[in-house]
Amino acid sequence: MSAIEARGLTKSFGGRPACREVSFSVERGEVFGLLGPNGAGKTTTLRMLAGLYAPDSGSATVAGIEIAPGRPGGPDLRARVGLLTEQPGFYDRLTARENLTYFAALQGARAGRVDPLLDRFQLRSHADRPFAELSRGMKQKLAIARALVHEPEVIFLDEPTVGLDPEATREVRSVVAELAAEHATIVLCTHHLDEVERLCSRAAFIAGRMLAVHEVRKLDLVRIELAAPFAVPEGVRALCKTLRAEGLVLFVDPLAAVPDLISALVEAGARLASVVPHRDPLEEAWLQLLALAREQGLTA
Amino acid sequence: MSTAVILRKELLELRRSPVLLLSMISLPLTVVIVPVGLLAWLVHAAPEQALAFVTDIYGVHGGGLQAGVASVLARNWLPMFLVLPIFLPILLAAQSIGGERERRTLEPLLATQASTLSIILGKSIAALVPALVITWIAAALFCAGIDLVIGSFLLPDPAWLFGTLVLSPLLALFGNAMAVVVSSRVLDPRAAQNLAATTVLPLLGLLVVQLAGRIALGPRFYLVLALGVAAADVALVFAAVRLFDRERLLTQWR
Repeated sequence: MSAIEARGLTKSFGGRPACREVSFSVERGEVFGLLGPNGAGKTTTLRMLAGLYAPDSGSATVAGIEIAPGRPGGPDLRARVGLLTEQPGFYDRLTARENLTYFAALQGARAGRVDPLLDRFQLRSHADRPFAELSRGMKQKLAIARALVHEPEVIFLDEPTVGLDPEATREVRSVVAELAAEHATIVLCTHHLDEVERLCSRAAFIAGRMLAVHEVRKLDLVRIELAAPFAVPEGVRALCKTLRAEGLVLFVDPLAAVPDLISALVEAGARLASVVPHRDPLEEAWLQLLALAREQGLTA
Repeated sequence: MSTAVILRKELLELRRSPVLLLSMISLPLTVVIVPVGLLAWLVHAAPEQALAFVTDIYGVHGGGLQAGVASVLARNWLPMFLVLPIFLPILLAAQSIGGERERRTLEPLLATQASTLSIILGKSIAALVPALVITWIAAALFCAGIDLVIGSFLLPDPAWLFGTLVLSPLLALFGNAMAVVVSSRVLDPRAAQNLAATTVLPLLGLLVVQLAGRIALGPRFYLVLALGVAAADVALVFAAVRLFDRERLLTQWR
């Protein structure tokens, strides 16, 4: 059973549509991207899935809880999901620990959850400083810790790196990557393609309405063009996480270092025409979809 | 459970907000110091004029200057101590929802398992308790000051006891519920505070009219006021819970 099933979620505010017909599913342990320009309806979708809004039409199942018009999910749903809001949203006069302890108590987190989380996000030495004195990166990591404090089944991250400097962005991305490596179910809402490419296995494109769900191929594939047909032996395949052949072209996600892989291929008798990093088509697909959406008047 | 958590956090924040605390005690301090100081000055500096003033305006005869002025103050100043329990919670409560919105803490709060009722209760108690404690301390200081200046036991009399122990909590609940209702519907916390604060105007008006010697508010008035405020409290608490629309609070803040 999927962790999330969204079926035609539609929401308007004051007669103005925020998002229309959003449908996708997220498997357990998957990192799923919600990609779209500002004002595309990503946050609205996330808030519906996190139990903050009820949809006008459509429905969803999140961590086994039903969401439908007039039924936003309630405390049962909020107990099973963790939400990283776009702004960290803590109390300036309380310390990092007091803030996290407060939200842990409201979420009914089990005792002793706060300090391990502060340790995990390298915040322990700053735990007794007022929140207002923390750096942007620390504030965002504290907000991620809050989203995890009650051990939710599904984690929603709304623009986790927006407004952060490069160093803080890197820190936060590595935290999300760690969570992904632990097979957490994550919905990542962003307008940064590179974030989706780094972290997600699939992404939904939203621009007012649902445009498409796209597989995200990793950027670190290698495109090897052969000069002549060649059957790749098992010894070389063992150096690859994935290997896909399309005629004379091999798309490889290498396990070994690329020079070692090339040496192994050459030693096995392959004649190579070219070796280049393979650009994922995500950006191209996104731009095409965006252009289409603009033509249809769905986005500015 | 969530109510206690929210209450504890609110009080902790209040303790760490010296400016807010100062603004909360400045009015009660004035309300105590000015009349007691005035009485002390009149008694020592201008006894004859003071007696004539009290006799002319309020029709208080006999008993001498001290007793005359003190009884006028005791009777006429009570409404001021009924304004305090309405006004003080408004300072806190109008900020409670609007302030959360302004600081962008409302979405994380609403994303927790805390129910609407526990959020309102936690924030309301956090506004009521300091307001009542400050009002009671101010009333005690006022009564002690008056008694000290005139050198005999005048206050608290039954009207003062009824006003501070029965009416004050009811009025504090009224001011707080009004602030929560307004704060839930008005986007700007400062506008919410100003709007809610207008609820003290009728009482201030009564105070002014009474100070001018036009009316004398008696026990019957305070009893009727208590019954009316109690009924209004029940209605406002229901309204506060009904009007606390989680979705609207998030969507109408830009």
